[in-house]
Amino acid sequence: MRLSITGALMGAMLLTAAPSLAQDLNSMTPEELYEIAKSEGSVTVFSLSSRIALVEAAFEEKYPGIDVIPVDLNSTRQIARLTAEQRAGVYAVDVLYLSEAPIVMRDLLPAEMVSGYVPPRIRNDMSSAHQEPLLTHRFSSRALMYNEAAYPDGSPITNLWQLTQPEWRSKVLMEDPTQRGEVLDLLTEIALRSDEMAQAYEDMFGEPITVDGDLHGAGEQFIRDLFNNDLVMVNHSSSLRSAVGDKTATDPSVGWTTYSAARDNEREGWALQISQETQPSAGILFPTMLAVAKNAPNPAAARLLIDFMMGDDSPSGGAGFEPFFVQGDYAARRTIEDHPDAVAFEEVNLWTIDPVRTSEARGRILDLIIMLQ
Amino acid sequence: MTEYILRRRSLARLLQSRHFVPLAVVTLVAILVVVPLVRIVLESLTPEGLRAWEAVTLSPLSTNLLWRPIGNTLLLGAGVATGCLLLGGFLAWLVILTDVPGRRFLGILSVLPFMIPSFAAALAWGTLFRNERLGGQPGYFAANGLDIPDWIAWGLMPTLIVLIAHYYSLAYTMIAAALSSVSADLVESAEMAGARRGRILFGIILPVVTPALISGGMLTFAGAVSNFAAPALLGAPVRMQTLSTRIYGMVQTGNIERGYVLALLLIVAAAALLYFSDKLVSGRRAFVTVTGKGSRTKRFSLGKWRWPLFALATGLGLMTTVVPLIVLFSSSMAMQSSGLFSNWTIHYWIGPAGTELAQGQAGIFRNPVLLDAIATTIRLGLTVAAAAMVVGLIIAHTIVRYKGTLLGNVISQLAFLPLFIPSIAMAAAYIAMYGTSFGPIPALYGTFTLLVLAATANLMPYAVQSGRAVLSQISADIEESARLTGAGPIRRMIQIVFPLAIRGVFAGGLLVFIKIVRDLSLVVLLFSSATPLLSMMAFNYASLGFMQFANAITLVILVICLIASLLVHIMQNRIQGWKSA
Repeated sequence: MRLSITGALMGAMLLTAAPSLAQDLNSMTPEELYEIAKSEGSVTVFSLSSRIALVEAAFEEKYPGIDVIPVDLNSTRQIARLTAEQRAGVYAVDVLYLSEAPIVMRDLLPAEMVSGYVPPRIRNDMSSAHQEPLLTHRFSSRALMYNEAAYPDGSPITNLWQLTQPEWRSKVLMEDPTQRGEVLDLLTEIALRSDEMAQAYEDMFGEPITVDGDLHGAGEQFIRDLFNNDLVMVNHSSSLRSAVGDKTATDPSVGWTTYSAARDNEREGWALQISQETQPSAGILFPTMLAVAKNAPNPAAARLLIDFMMGDDSPSGGAGFEPFFVQGDYAARRTIEDHPDAVAFEEVNLWTIDPVRTSEARGRILDLIIMLQ
Repeated sequence: MTEYILRRRSLARLLQSRHFVPLAVVTLVAILVVVPLVRIVLESLTPEGLRAWEAVTLSPLSTNLLWRPIGNTLLLGAGVATGCLLLGGFLAWLVILTDVPGRRFLGILSVLPFMIPSFAAALAWGTLFRNERLGGQPGYFAANGLDIPDWIAWGLMPTLIVLIAHYYSLAYTMIAAALSSVSADLVESAEMAGARRGRILFGIILPVVTPALISGGMLTFAGAVSNFAAPALLGAPVRMQTLSTRIYGMVQTGNIERGYVLALLLIVAAAALLYFSDKLVSGRRAFVTVTGKGSRTKRFSLGKWRWPLFALATGLGLMTTVVPLIVLFSSSMAMQSSGLFSNWTIHYWIGPAGTELAQGQAGIFRNPVLLDAIATTIRLGLTVAAAAMVVGLIIAHTIVRYKGTLLGNVISQLAFLPLFIPSIAMAAAYIAMYGTSFGPIPALYGTFTLLVLAATANLMPYAVQSGRAVLSQISADIEESARLTGAGPIRRMIQIVFPLAIRGVFAGGLLVFIKIVRDLSLVVLLFSSATPLLSMMAFNYASLGFMQFANAITLVILVICLIASLLVHIMQNRIQGWKSA
């Protein structure tokens, strides 16, 4: 009884004295947060991953009395929804679990629509670069994947420029970059890595690249050549995964999707594998972040959920992180090991994106893609 | 006190004034339609908006951003309208005017396809015809050794077929309603005067149903050009874009001004095309045929063609209803889409959470959000159907009664304006308008009210058209007589117009209900976690790759639509039983 009164009082006070109380909440232990969260009763989370359903079950078991309400939305839509809701004065969501760091940094953070929270207990477990301005939960990827069953000797693609050749015409797949921000980020990164792309071109053809007059560098030339080689765009990554990964396929395509899709190989009958040998890179790594929404209705439960999702001190991260302890996902907390089936984080052949540079170049690449479609 | 009386008097005078009703209607339509539209235009004139105009119309992007999509869009619209009129007209003629066996059965069969969301039909098409372009698991036919070329599997052709299969029942509904108003007296007198069948068809029946043909063509055209799901699902692999997929893509990636500009251009293009086709066909005046007296419908004898035509109509109906349903149902039970008819599980319907299937998610009927979504969806359907039909009937009545006057023309044009606003653009306009509080207008984003407002505005043309189709056939004599005996406008409405219009009202209400229950392109930007909707859940599952959940929820939508139309069918027969005598 007294607890619920305390909780209600705190809730009421939060409305008036949010900044200082948020400070207090930020320094509380999980146990202290749980006491307040009990009176809040629930926590709403936008999640880019459907695996949030597993987190929900595990969280509700550990912290009975707090109902997790997961809303499955990709990052692009989360940003659109949060922006629209907050502009209308609707504050319904507590936690955002999203990627698209370039847009989050450019649009959401300066407008204070989200704020960062780092559970005190894990501050020493991860690089400070991954704590500021928002907490990175894990690194996800858009990596070139091939079919291990059809190509048992390793990836058929050793150089990205092979994908622009007649041999691979109509056999390269990608989600539509005009509708999925992560894929747009991938192409933007390729454009930004012009020098490396030019070098790879020379390695393959033995002569320096000639770039079309209207383009900025080898990366953009690659994008144009790739599209002109009948790149196949799909709406759902699921169709891409089965297209590339189907074990029984005789002459399968290759395509960019999340490396962690390989976790479903056994269940779905796929043979997806990352094209680790590809020069100059198989794709990108990008941070997947956890943030507290402005005026979150359940601020303590929000922090408790973030704390839970960051995992415990065990090598697999325990129940909170377990759904993400899979091949192809890399925890930002380096106390959590990489999955034994995966290429180690330090060795994986992926570029890590720089959100600021990406957000500056994104618009131009989007326009280039629209011209090529 | 005096002031109060004076005010009451002026109010009363206003109410009785000839211009009160049309003025009130103009205001209503303006608030629902014109103001959001003005808002889009204003948004496109900001510096950001002007840059978008340049990018869309005068830059190297224009070809892919505007010209090719607009070409595809208009091609789809024209193709779908033609196909729907032919198919729907044929079925309506068969069911209403001939002695084909199993007419009631065929009638129900011909309305069914409209209840299947177009994205479900598109998904079903993909499951059957998918070829090796995407690699991976082949479609049903490809797996059975048939070679499916790209033009059948992807792009314009399948989109056209899926949309015709989806929209022809709309044309059917409108043409059938008009045909059932062709009274036996007319046909019999023509027969007695020695007219041949062909002459009766072209001389009597066709002129009477011309308004229905025009509006059927317009509605299917408008539906096709603003449809998002089918071209998105079937066009993407061959990079076919329509304006609606472009608008969606632009809004989704934060280029909302480009979305507005494309939406405005789509409005202009569609409006121009519809305007000229309307001018082309409608030189003639509408015929007043149905009077207050009951009338019978004359049926032609088909002779030896009875059964072949029955078989043809049944075949068409089954191909567009039962086949997609079987595909949807079996894929909601199949663990992998490759084995459509084997290894079934009911997990995706009622299975518990935390298993190996579906990444630990429970079956849909164990998902509390689904139950919530069912309730919200039905509530939305009923509210919008009621609101739209009240608004639609008032507007239709005003249009018919003030025909020829300036106000009447203005109302008529305004009421059909939403046809030219693709749902997605309408939704964006409503967000622009109600996204922030503005003066006395509160921010409605994420509320049920906003969904109802936007949907009512969006579906107003359908409601008005259904109302008008019936009202325009009601003789002015009766209302005239009522007015002479001193009945006020409200009393005339309730006691004369409404009972005569009830069949059309139910048909229109059903149309609106079904359209909103399975709508996607309007709600996709307006729904929120506080207002979960079935179609959004299905679409979200589909885009996350959980086809079983998506298909299961699609079937739930279908069952809701089915029950609604059965109820309406029963009520219609009970109310206007004399028609079938």
